[in-house]
Amino acid sequence: MNFNFSKDQIILRKSAREFIKKEVPASLVRELIVDEKGYSSKVWKKMAELGWLGIAIDEEFGGIGADFMDLAILFEELGRGAVPSPFFSTVLMGGFLLQNHASEELKNRYLPKIVEGESIITAAISGEKGFYGKNQVGITAKKSNGNYLLNGSVLFVSYANVSDMIICAAKMDSVNTDITLFAVDGKVKGLTATPLKTIFGNYIDYSITLDNVMVSPEMIIGEQCKGWDYIEKIWPLIIAAQSCECVGGMQKVMDMTRDYLNGRIQFGKPLSALQIVQHMCVDMFAKVETSKLTAHSAAWSISEGLDSENEAAIAKSWCAEAYKDVTKIAHQVTGAIGFTEEYDLHLYTKSAKKLELLFGDGAYQRKVVADKLGL
Amino acid sequence: MDLRLTEAQSRLQKDIRAFLESMKKKGEYPFTNDSLQLVFSPEFSQKLAEKGWIGIAWPKEFGGQGAGYLERCIILEELLKSGAPVGYHYLADRQVGPGIIHFGSDFLKNEFLQKMLNAQVSFCLLFSEPNAGSDLAACETSAVEEGDYFILNGQKTWTSHGHSADYGWGLMRTSFDSKTPKHNAFSEILINMKTPGITIRPVINMVGLHSFNEVFFDNVKIHQKYLIGKKGNGFRQIMTNLVYERATIDRLIQNYSAKEALFEYAKTTEKDGVPLSKDPIIRDSLAKLEVEFQVGRKYIYYVTTLLDDGKIPDYEAAIGKNFCTLFEAKLSDLATNIMGLHGLIMPDSPKALFKGIVAESYLMSPSYTLQGGSVEILKNIIAKRGLKLSLK
Repeated sequence: MNFNFSKDQIILRKSAREFIKKEVPASLVRELIVDEKGYSSKVWKKMAELGWLGIAIDEEFGGIGADFMDLAILFEELGRGAVPSPFFSTVLMGGFLLQNHASEELKNRYLPKIVEGESIITAAISGEKGFYGKNQVGITAKKSNGNYLLNGSVLFVSYANVSDMIICAAKMDSVNTDITLFAVDGKVKGLTATPLKTIFGNYIDYSITLDNVMVSPEMIIGEQCKGWDYIEKIWPLIIAAQSCECVGGMQKVMDMTRDYLNGRIQFGKPLSALQIVQHMCVDMFAKVETSKLTAHSAAWSISEGLDSENEAAIAKSWCAEAYKDVTKIAHQVTGAIGFTEEYDLHLYTKSAKKLELLFGDGAYQRKVVADKLGL
Repeated sequence: MDLRLTEAQSRLQKDIRAFLESMKKKGEYPFTNDSLQLVFSPEFSQKLAEKGWIGIAWPKEFGGQGAGYLERCIILEELLKSGAPVGYHYLADRQVGPGIIHFGSDFLKNEFLQKMLNAQVSFCLLFSEPNAGSDLAACETSAVEEGDYFILNGQKTWTSHGHSADYGWGLMRTSFDSKTPKHNAFSEILINMKTPGITIRPVINMVGLHSFNEVFFDNVKIHQKYLIGKKGNGFRQIMTNLVYERATIDRLIQNYSAKEALFEYAKTTEKDGVPLSKDPIIRDSLAKLEVEFQVGRKYIYYVTTLLDDGKIPDYEAAIGKNFCTLFEAKLSDLATNIMGLHGLIMPDSPKALFKGIVAESYLMSPSYTLQGGSVEILKNIIAKRGLKLSLK
């Protein structure tokens, strides 16, 4: 048993960290969360050049076809930078759903473009209330003259404004609750995307409504009525990637808080010299260290093709709550400056809460754990 | 990264499981929750010794199997899960043996290692004193050289198994010069507990059990060949030794039977016609507990691999121990709440479920976060060694 990363993985992490430090400093993150696109196309292009956008896509479509672990490392570093970008929706949701299940035609249409950085993809899999689960899907598909008419709305879809294609999960009719995934053109008639002002971004997440959106049968991803199976299959990847993002973010919070405490003189000595502050830092540190192992183990398990449902659920449950807790302790020991716009901590506090709730919080993931225990 | 066990390790896991299953069936030995603290069975330890499962991580030249700490962790996990009576050989295997291998003279190695491997000698730890708890460097029990001997005077306390162990591993003050830095003032000495001048008095804990003792030394004469390592180096040796104590899975698994009892109870007990485990709050509490258990388990396995890489995982072991003791305290609190009034019923009482281990474990729990270094002392260690904090 060994928990060590390979040389290549260490190099990948190092170069990713340097890239994000240089290209996506906190000042840019601040701009992006109010920017009307919500991401930097310049950085996106560079990510494509580095091969990041094709890291999990097969070589036949121009990708690298690397292990999930490599992708997980990138997510961790993106989390460390709290980088707003459509990387998650495009590479993970789009990349895996298409590659695993779509027709050759759809794959050829989208995958090479993803790799090149020319296509942004997102997914709309929940419903009006923003809950997750097969029965919560908010779009309904109805057959009409050989095509499908999609109606309904989804509360939360990231980057719907800039996506070339939105993977929409739809109930086949109001009686049959089986789900089908449709590749819906991002600019199609009848689709409205309204920007949501969230705790982390004014133009990153959208509420979408589909009003008689016509989709042809060729745009179905995989088989009809199998859509939720496909979502469940990539669920461990989704939440393991999020766990890694959490790990990156909380490590950054730990680092910035330590630096601050070492330099901040109160009562004639650094705050870090106060035992109570030290103990609060240790609480943060223990969460970071245990989260690292948990997230990496889940990513490793996925990389190895093992059944990772439980591992990933444990990872998200632990890491999302740990990240949030770490930001809370950081605020308490940092004091008033941590509550300001100019200090970077809030970027992470916001990102932590968002990562916790997107794709289900700890309690949501623990249902899987409870099922596995036969509770 | 590769988190699988090797084939040999999986086989070892299977073997020990099968062995414990058969021992349990025989019914000759007491299997119980928290057996490490409470049960002392030389006969059972000798059965393990026959299998080569004591000292498995010790180097071959000292009679061990030369396997890794991971192998030891695998054995230990199964032993403690099953509640096997491991108290007799436990300290020898965990830290006294490795301590002698690291620091001991040839005499000590010859005298003790083989006996430990055969489970023919048992140990207790003589560290804490009435005025030296968390502040271990305040120890006063003295060892004064007189010819070939040390003369010991003073008092140790919280000595688990002090009344049944053959030898005590003692931290003794050997320098009385006020100019000697306190960390150079101590030596470690192995003390035969039957030596004249030693008086052992039981201390009954709040559970009503006799696990620890006070040990008094009144001009106790111990030959200098029982000095472990260098004179004056005792404090440093003990710090290394404590890493071995903390870098193990025992605190996570010691209450495994209570955890099993809790899950079993929640699944099989109905309230208003529905199993308790279907109650959303109980269900999530149990899943949360399981998440913590799995996270802790992963972390301890990680710390074990650090030992196998030849590192001294000082702050990692401290993080692991804190995590695990906080987990077990939480476990017994949750278990008593979910079991309701049954959670109050002690072992040997009528109507006790699962032999009363849950109530007993709750009463034991204040000790978990204190023994082997309190949570706060361990946090000091983590702050000092793991975090790059300016401490002054």
